[in-house]
Amino acid sequence: MKKRRISAAIGFVLVASVVAAACGGGSDSGSEGGTPQKGGTINILSSAESIAHLDPQRNYTGDDLAFVGSTMQRSLTTYKLSEGDAGSEIVGDLATDTGTSSEDGKVWTFTLKDGIKFEDGSDITCADVAYGVSRSFATDVITDGPSYAISYLNVEGEYPGPYTATAAQQAAYDKAVTCDGNVITFNLKSTVADFNYTTTLLTFSPVPKAKDTGEKYDMRPVASGPYKIESYEIGKSLVLVRNDQWDPETDSERKAYADKFVYNFGLDESAMDERMIADTGEDQTAVSYGILPENLQTIFEGDEALAKRAVNYYDPYVMYTNLNVKSLSCLDVRKAIYLALDRDALRKAGGGPYTGDFADGFVKPALALDYKKPTQLDGLNEDGKPNVEAAKAAMAAAETNCPEIAARAKDGLKFYYPDTEVWKKALAIWIDSMGKAGIKIKPEAVGDPAQYWPTVMNPETEYDIARGGWAPDWANASTVIPELFTTGGGFNLTRNADDPDYKTFETKIEEARNTLDRKEQGVKWQELNQYVVDRLWALPGTFTRAQSMWGSKVGGAFQWGPFGAFCYGNLWVK
Amino acid sequence: MFLFITRRLFFALLLLFAVSVVTYLLFSALPVDPAALTCGKNCKPELIAANRVRLGYDKPLVEQYWLFLKGIFVGRDYGMGQAAFSCPAPSLGYSFSQHECVTTLIGKTFPVTAFLSIGAFILWMFIGVGSGAIAALNKGKWQDRLANAFTAIGVSLPTFYVGLLVLFSVVIWLGILPFPHYESPLEDPVKFLNAMILPWITLAVLSAASYTRLTRNGMLEAMNEDFVRLGVAKGLTRRVVLRKYVMRSAMVPIVTIAGLDFAALLGGAIITESVFSLPGMGKLSIRAVVESDLPVLVGTTMVAAVFIVLANVIVDISYGFLDPRVREK
Amino acid sequence: MEASHPVLIVENLSVSFETPDGIVHAVNDVSFVLHRGKTLGIVGESGSGKSVTASSLMRLNNSVTATTSGSVQVSGKDLMAASDDELRQIRGSEIAMVFQDPMSALNPYYTVGAQIAEAYEVHHPNASKSEVQMKVIDMMTKVGIPNPEQRSKDYPHQFSGGMRQRIVIAIALVNDPKILIADEPTTALDVTVQAQILDLMLSLQAENGMAILLITHDLGVIAEVARDVLVMYAGRVVEKADVEDLFEIPTHPYSWGLLGAVSSLDDSHRGQLKTIEGAPPSLLNLPTGCAFHPRCTYSSENNGQCETLVPSLMQKGPEHSSSACHLQSARVVQIGREVGK
Repeated sequence: MKKRRISAAIGFVLVASVVAAACGGGSDSGSEGGTPQKGGTINILSSAESIAHLDPQRNYTGDDLAFVGSTMQRSLTTYKLSEGDAGSEIVGDLATDTGTSSEDGKVWTFTLKDGIKFEDGSDITCADVAYGVSRSFATDVITDGPSYAISYLNVEGEYPGPYTATAAQQAAYDKAVTCDGNVITFNLKSTVADFNYTTTLLTFSPVPKAKDTGEKYDMRPVASGPYKIESYEIGKSLVLVRNDQWDPETDSERKAYADKFVYNFGLDESAMDERMIADTGEDQTAVSYGILPENLQTIFEGDEALAKRAVNYYDPYVMYTNLNVKSLSCLDVRKAIYLALDRDALRKAGGGPYTGDFADGFVKPALALDYKKPTQLDGLNEDGKPNVEAAKAAMAAAETNCPEIAARAKDGLKFYYPDTEVWKKALAIWIDSMGKAGIKIKPEAVGDPAQYWPTVMNPETEYDIARGGWAPDWANASTVIPELFTTGGGFNLTRNADDPDYKTFETKIEEARNTLDRKEQGVKWQELNQYVVDRLWALPGTFTRAQSMWGSKVGGAFQWGPFGAFCYGNLWVK
Repeated sequence: MFLFITRRLFFALLLLFAVSVVTYLLFSALPVDPAALTCGKNCKPELIAANRVRLGYDKPLVEQYWLFLKGIFVGRDYGMGQAAFSCPAPSLGYSFSQHECVTTLIGKTFPVTAFLSIGAFILWMFIGVGSGAIAALNKGKWQDRLANAFTAIGVSLPTFYVGLLVLFSVVIWLGILPFPHYESPLEDPVKFLNAMILPWITLAVLSAASYTRLTRNGMLEAMNEDFVRLGVAKGLTRRVVLRKYVMRSAMVPIVTIAGLDFAALLGGAIITESVFSLPGMGKLSIRAVVESDLPVLVGTTMVAAVFIVLANVIVDISYGFLDPRVREK
Repeated sequence: MEASHPVLIVENLSVSFETPDGIVHAVNDVSFVLHRGKTLGIVGESGSGKSVTASSLMRLNNSVTATTSGSVQVSGKDLMAASDDELRQIRGSEIAMVFQDPMSALNPYYTVGAQIAEAYEVHHPNASKSEVQMKVIDMMTKVGIPNPEQRSKDYPHQFSGGMRQRIVIAIALVNDPKILIADEPTTALDVTVQAQILDLMLSLQAENGMAILLITHDLGVIAEVARDVLVMYAGRVVEKADVEDLFEIPTHPYSWGLLGAVSSLDDSHRGQLKTIEGAPPSLLNLPTGCAFHPRCTYSSENNGQCETLVPSLMQKGPEHSSSACHLQSARVVQIGREVGK
């Protein structure tokens, strides 16, 4: 099954943990020569039944952000619609530049460009942006979206969003987000050095209040980019046509080559692959997301012509395993687990090398500024094979250093897993490889996969081991390491607060966050990545990969770094 | 007869009510928290709780069911302030994942399924009854053996396999037809036919197989009936004997089964619709299953149940017309 | 003499069927003549070929598996050589048939009136609606169905067995056929109804002078209605006799057995049937020579002839009797007299 289908199959489970967006950066992207030209129709083949969310404030998955952001919706800032590292650079989009911050990084201002318009011809004003952002507070209607505005903006008291706010509550919001002509100012609770990366999220897209239909806005949002919706039928198709109110003079990034985009939903996956391989008729101007495992070899290793129209790249995700540092407060035991684990067998069971490379930490190489290969644990096999001898030695060390924890490991460690076929297979491998090092696993199945994250995130649940998966929200490890390993992080399942090294760790995190020089900050993230890897609060698993194909008449088919997806808006027809 | 029909209809309504209760309870008892499903990345217990209230899942089951039932007759309101909206009667609820009233969703997808079902039905009855009749009339000859082989293969092949085979060979490998994109027949009859022809054939070929067998065996059985021999002895032409005596007798069980099969199809041809990307009720149901979209699941199940129950009533009534022996009882 | 008006002449009729187990010789070399206004009975156990003989007269056997030879002449036309069209003209108008089981002989999906009408219309295509309707009522009255106008609108299942057989007879006789083939017409009916149906057939015969070929396993019925009798065994005619002669001096060991089985028409003996020892032979694998020899008490008297030679019909007893047996005529008459009453 394809990645896309997996996420659809477990529904919002993945969204709950590993929502995407950020610096991926193709290791080997597949763009090719030719001069871009205007005209034609780009077809997108998809097995999904719809775009998860078209509503800008609810859009939060990598591929959909790339699609909507490069075609229909503009935000205050955007990543450059470029190939390679340039694609992770930000520029002003609706704003004239990438914003100005106060010295303490707590007040950010953006000036809107002149001549920016909605599809109905009305000007995009500061109020429209402020209204758009305010919608993300209405989490009962605007579900699934990022909540950065909620956590960053300094709104006094409770603010339930614009639909149900009292006058006082609305006034409090209006104090946090102010408009002065075409200058919008955001007052933040604390320093956010990279707030202008946050503003690439479509949370910061404008919404005309008069046209807001709440829950139903998802079906027909008003466009600010070069394309608007002609028709949208879930399960069938989404057709985008040119938005003549969009002025290319105001947009340095979107080239809008194609006349039309047709997103075809609900296709059978094997039929999709066959069509992409056959490359006939309108499929020659088509792109598809994901390739079935059984076709990967044919495409990448069988036929050069096919391999030229396909790419095997890093998507933004890192898969890993959380260890409960509180119950496993013994580094030797954690080392033993890591050394004994047959990561190779796990990857094989999951689909082999095309699913990803063995991870060396929690920051993917695509976060170029923040990545430096961390020194690996002594005795750890780079090829993913277990090192049973080293694991046994680590256990022996644990017997003397922390006999209680060692005894616990021998007695049985609770592994909470979602009760799915894939995870049953994985658990069998875990039990087997831990057994060889004298460690016992007690599997605890969570029957409803949707309840998995709520279950393990509940502090009452006593697990020793739990799964994990994450993708950064923008091209900065600040959306990875603090999220996964600080007590204030959104997805910390390691319960590491009592670890003797935690205090130092938190101080270092604060330092990194407050370092305004991006390069300097990057070095600090590299060190912190090493810090976590050394302590094994969690075990790195794989840097996942994804594969895509495009038709022979599609130009500009590169993987857009931050999203690990095509830069749809700039695709062109040869 | 009138009494018979009213009585059947009354019991059908009662049955549907029971089905609605069971469906509702069954899906509500699933180990799925629909509120947790709406909760995005920043899934905090308070948010789940808030959404539970918003979706009405905090209310006791009986009240939820009552709201559901009431919605069918008077419609239902959702949300507050500018975000408020309503689903007019007959409302089967609202899909928060598709942003549409369930009734509207079903209204949009049902025509596709109906066109698919009707076309396939006509085709398969034609193929099935035709080949069954040819086989029966040529018992033991090559036509019969061919029909037997067709039946054996047809009933054992899985739909998705045949569907993909047909799709791949006709569209992708041979390129005889462009890839199907469903359009309403009113808007673009050519695209409509192009999207329908392969699924029709797939469904028809597979379903026809069992009708070939039914027709063949029914006719052979009928041909041995005394009354058929009496028909011949009367001096009737072969055509008349076949039509009024043999076929008439063989058709009774076929009509019964065909009615039920057709109704089941109207509830959504899940696999065929998936393979050929037809936006029908089957796909709607599948998506609802994948997303644990309970209102849509309950809605499509109810609609499918209505068809099955209705088909049973119609089959019962038509049975009375077809077979005078049943009418008396 | 009426005897000089043969309406049906059957010569050397043989019928065989192909079955998965082999070829079944159901009827072998059967010849007989049916005269106007007379009744010929064919009697035998089940499997003796009597019913196949009856249905092959109208060529009602399955055309795929059955092979028929010989000739069947009706009004000078050989039915075996007739085209489908000619055959259809004759069926139902010149020869009609009454089946054994009235429960299954009528089409359950149409009213009895419609079925009688259909039988009439097919041979009277120009008849008007009212004419047809009158004919239906007339026939139903004739066969003794009360309230015919109303009952013609009823379906077969609304009638009793006897009433249904009356309707079958009405269908058979609606076109005034010259020949009526009645294949066990009373077997499926209650004893009291049996006599009514036979009486009905006889009275209709007296009225229109048709010839009746009565197939039965019941010698009692034969005694009551037939004038001439054929006794069949294993597909062959083993005795051919005047009905009185058959009962007085039967001339074939099988007939002796049959008569023993039926004892007499004397009601006091009914219900005490003696059966012939042994079972009828399988038609797939007939015994050599005389097919009856394994069950025949006298087969040892003929120096092994019975086991090797198929006997042919020859006069053995009274003037109108002939039988197919290797026993000497004198011996036959001697035993026949003992058996007959």
